[in-house]
Amino acid sequence: MRYVVGVGDMKAGQKGDIIVTHALGSCLGLMLYDPVMKIGGMLHAMLPLSKINMEKAQANPFMFVDTGVPELFKAIYNMGGLKGRLIVKAAGCGSPLGNNEMFKIGERNHTVLKKLLWKNSILLKSEDVAGSKSRTVHFNISTGQVIISSNGVETEL
Amino acid sequence: MALNVLIVDDSGVMRAMIKKTMLMSGLPLGEVYQAGNGKDGLEILNQNWIDLVVVDINMPVMNGEEMLSQMRENPGTKDIPVVVISTEGSQTRIERLIKKGASFIQKPFSPELIRDIVKEITGIGGDDEPPVK
Repeated sequence: MRYVVGVGDMKAGQKGDIIVTHALGSCLGLMLYDPVMKIGGMLHAMLPLSKINMEKAQANPFMFVDTGVPELFKAIYNMGGLKGRLIVKAAGCGSPLGNNEMFKIGERNHTVLKKLLWKNSILLKSEDVAGSKSRTVHFNISTGQVIISSNGVETEL
Repeated sequence: MALNVLIVDDSGVMRAMIKKTMLMSGLPLGEVYQAGNGKDGLEILNQNWIDLVVVDINMPVMNGEEMLSQMRENPGTKDIPVVVISTEGSQTRIERLIKKGASFIQKPFSPELIRDIVKEITGIGGDDEPPVK
């Protein structure tokens, strides 16, 4: 199966699946992978904190980093993933409008993510964040391989 | 092989953060010793088997640079890998530390950076993959 993760969305899959998300700007793309179970999930969260609109966060937790990240972990745990085995990678959190962007959404998305991970004793395996480029992520659940394409250039994360 | 680590920093919060990072990195940790300045650090080094030293520069009593120099003069401690984690901005001082065989990490640091540097200098991967060179 090929899943496409929209903005404020999350998809999880198993061996044979490909999960894709397009045009990550200031949004956070977070990928979790359990290499033993060969399962993985991807979150595409828009804004850092859910406190600005609790009702929206309840209707769609994947919109916010602070509510979406725990939901992604729960989804993987429910499929049999184990915390100690998880490989965590992050992409996005950029500033597509340049550094003088007023709200610094990308930077704040990244900060909230790092804080959540630190509190839960999880380190990122790798990340491709910040800058002004737009990123598309291909996540192959059979191999755990994450490919970032940006401006026609493909790199493995 | 379990790594015995000595963390030398005058801030208890910083020592706790470094210790937590080491635990999160999946490194095979043995004992974790802590000291608040270079002099206490040297004492712990003389009394225990230490495989890795993480040290700050600016501390009371004895700073990290002095501690590193004394370590390098002592045959028993001269080959122990040292990581300096500091707010130090002076490039000449950083180069002096690197010449003495230390790795340097600038504060504020990300826990991932500590993991990568420690894996590189100890040659131990925390998981099945070889350390990133």
